[in-house]
Amino acid sequence: MNDKNVLLGEKVKTKKTFSDYWSKYSTVLIMVLMIIVFGILQPQAFMSAKNLVKIIEQSSITILLACGEFFAILLGGIDLSVGSTMALSGVVSSRLLEMGWSTWAAMLVGIVGLGLLLGAINGGLINLTNLHPFIITLGTQSIFRGLTVILADSRPVPATAFAKAFGGKLFGIVPTPILVALFVALALTYFTIKCKAGRNLYAIGGSKQAAWFAGINVKRHTMLAFMISGVCASLAGMVNIARLASAEPAAGTGYETFAIASAIIGGTSFFGGIGMIPKVVLGGLIIGIINNGINMVGLSSYYQQICMGSLIILAVTLDRFFGASSKKR
Amino acid sequence: MEQYLTEMRNIEKKFSGVTALKNVSFSLKPGEVHVLLGENGAGKSTLMKILSGAYEPTSGEIVINGQSFDRLSPKLSQQMGISIIYQELSVINELSVQENIFLGRLLTKRKLGFTIVDKNRMNRETEQLLKDIGLHCGPQTQVDALRISEKQMVEIAKAVAFNSQIIIMDEPTSSLTEEEIDQLFTIIRRLKAAGKGIIYISHKLKEIKQIGDRVTVLKDGEYVGTHNVADVSIDKLITMMVGRELQDKYQSTTREHGQQGEVILEVKQMTRRDGYVKDISFELHQGEILGFSGLVASGRTETMEAIYGAVPLSRGEVWLHGRKLHIRNTYDALNSGIALVTENRRETGFFKNFSIRRNLSIAKQLRDSKLGGLYGLISTKQEKAISAEQIKAMQIKCASIEQAITELSGGNQQKVILGKWMAANSQVIIFDEPTKGIDVGTKSEIYKLMRILCEQGVGVILVSSEMPELLSVCDRILVYYEGHINGEYAIEDATEEKLVYSATVAKEDMQATA
Repeated sequence: MNDKNVLLGEKVKTKKTFSDYWSKYSTVLIMVLMIIVFGILQPQAFMSAKNLVKIIEQSSITILLACGEFFAILLGGIDLSVGSTMALSGVVSSRLLEMGWSTWAAMLVGIVGLGLLLGAINGGLINLTNLHPFIITLGTQSIFRGLTVILADSRPVPATAFAKAFGGKLFGIVPTPILVALFVALALTYFTIKCKAGRNLYAIGGSKQAAWFAGINVKRHTMLAFMISGVCASLAGMVNIARLASAEPAAGTGYETFAIASAIIGGTSFFGGIGMIPKVVLGGLIIGIINNGINMVGLSSYYQQICMGSLIILAVTLDRFFGASSKKR
Repeated sequence: MEQYLTEMRNIEKKFSGVTALKNVSFSLKPGEVHVLLGENGAGKSTLMKILSGAYEPTSGEIVINGQSFDRLSPKLSQQMGISIIYQELSVINELSVQENIFLGRLLTKRKLGFTIVDKNRMNRETEQLLKDIGLHCGPQTQVDALRISEKQMVEIAKAVAFNSQIIIMDEPTSSLTEEEIDQLFTIIRRLKAAGKGIIYISHKLKEIKQIGDRVTVLKDGEYVGTHNVADVSIDKLITMMVGRELQDKYQSTTREHGQQGEVILEVKQMTRRDGYVKDISFELHQGEILGFSGLVASGRTETMEAIYGAVPLSRGEVWLHGRKLHIRNTYDALNSGIALVTENRRETGFFKNFSIRRNLSIAKQLRDSKLGGLYGLISTKQEKAISAEQIKAMQIKCASIEQAITELSGGNQQKVILGKWMAANSQVIIFDEPTKGIDVGTKSEIYKLMRILCEQGVGVILVSSEMPELLSVCDRILVYYEGHINGEYAIEDATEEKLVYSATVAKEDMQATA
């Protein structure tokens, strides 16, 4: 073996197998296939620049939720409360607006206050009880939703000031939701690649015990992961009320499914420790493409569900057979 | 000729070319307790797994009740009246005593043309069994609610219910209290009186004298001999168990014996909250490799976990270079310069989803970080530098630092783990069974690395179940027995006999048996 190459850390040329390529490009491949299929079926309506921007805009909430969900799954856990967190922070911010708070202050409380707080509640309960995140967040999903409806008085809370402030477009082209999602995705990509805390989350996801024996404070990092998820969800909540100009108490119901689906279609391992943010973003876009495309083709929205469900199973199955995990078994 | 319940003749077992048993013979009479004795890896478990049908022998013959077999299956073994009670009990906690006893062969009756479970009959039979065996609980008691010794009795009841003639007990007393052991022995005597044969695997020599009739000693997969327990002394048994040639020595040759360097690590009166470790005190000096011997679960690994902050202490202090440490978790330990190479490499030693580079760098990154590892940025340049340095120092054989660590051999994985701790400037490295499952060549490389580290001033502790390893690597050896240090030997005085003796006979009993 060439010693110099090893020491310089350069990749020694090894045979690239199909599985190497598959695990790298499968998500892109699925997305391109989707675009081709809908492009053939509806060349004019689907493939127009306007529609493509619309798809991204529609996907931005899913992408925001999925970016947070990614960290819960990366730890080998899950966060079922993202939809409720989104709704609760939206309603709280709108209520504060109603009470005469300024737009910025209301938004800041919604994101920083609510997002961090709700995430910390999830993380804290998980650390305290040592229960699986599924159980804790199943509970908080219901609790947060209940609080939302109580705070909203079971009615939509108007948030026109939000819509005015953030409902616009940058340079008249790029809608604000896309900017928010893009910024979050870039920031979190940087975090996972360059920050020690991000690297440690991968380590914990690989093996909680090994992480503990390597000297990582597992509880603190679990807390961090769920706080990131909380903040992402409340950002999604802000984007949502800005788009609709009101905060619906039922907003985001079932959105955790989209978030989880995006992460998984984006190649995140459900056992933890494997995955990357850019692919999760692609996963979110794929779901946006399905929803939009099926609409364009003129099928009922129920077909969206069938299509998304099939894709989840297909993506993971293909990964099993061709992806990186197929080598180890 | 005497009538044997079972006879195993000239059994040989090879695992992919490696001989685990060589020409071993063993026999069991009705109404006797036949003890199977030997060190870890002597082949006791392999032999018993052949008798219980879990393994097929490579050659040899097994005779049960006059019927000859060249191999058994688990089912056939059970049909021939053989039951095995493993060290890790296989009762199902979620079920009742009665359900456990009749698991997989529920008694049934016909009613209205349907076959249904005959609960009343099972209840009656269970009650009788429990009475016979002396376990005071109802048939419907959930096993979860029982103590370990009682669970073991449920297993024995199960064996009796099967009408087993041969009952194999694998270290049955390892987790029992004195009182519970007495109770177990009463049951064993009762089973003996009923004409059943018992194969008793144990390390505890005192017990063998108490309960055994005959004893067979195995060593490195070979048959050493069979004796009547009454005719043989404990010393003789120990000699039979060990007595093998020592391998190369890796001890310090430059160090002058008797002259110890300054104290690196000092542990004072350490006691663990869960009781696995009681009042441990020792010092680790510069220039010595300190060995920890003792049986599995005697408190060696448990002590190291406590020093490393992986479990909470109830009492005790750890001092490093004359400074008292406050270790509440593993991050504190890492930050103070203490490193643990864990026993279970695959589960707790490395990250299987990380490349060699990432595995080598993580300890250094954590140590340079703040807030329990949360703060700080990763430098790929630094990672590459660390990797290059450690691959050279540890002589890790790999194609590239970007390779997944799972693609390396066990020995090279262990070197990566060692490199990880060295990159973090660890001042004390604790090795817990570092050569488990590692080939001979890499083993000696790891011993050499340990010696090099030791000479560089790093404190080195070696916990091992392999006595030849301890004797060839260490300069001083402490021996554990049931959670405390039961013996200390400088390498000049240490022999396998002495180590075994201290690991199996409590200090208080030493005078009596010596």
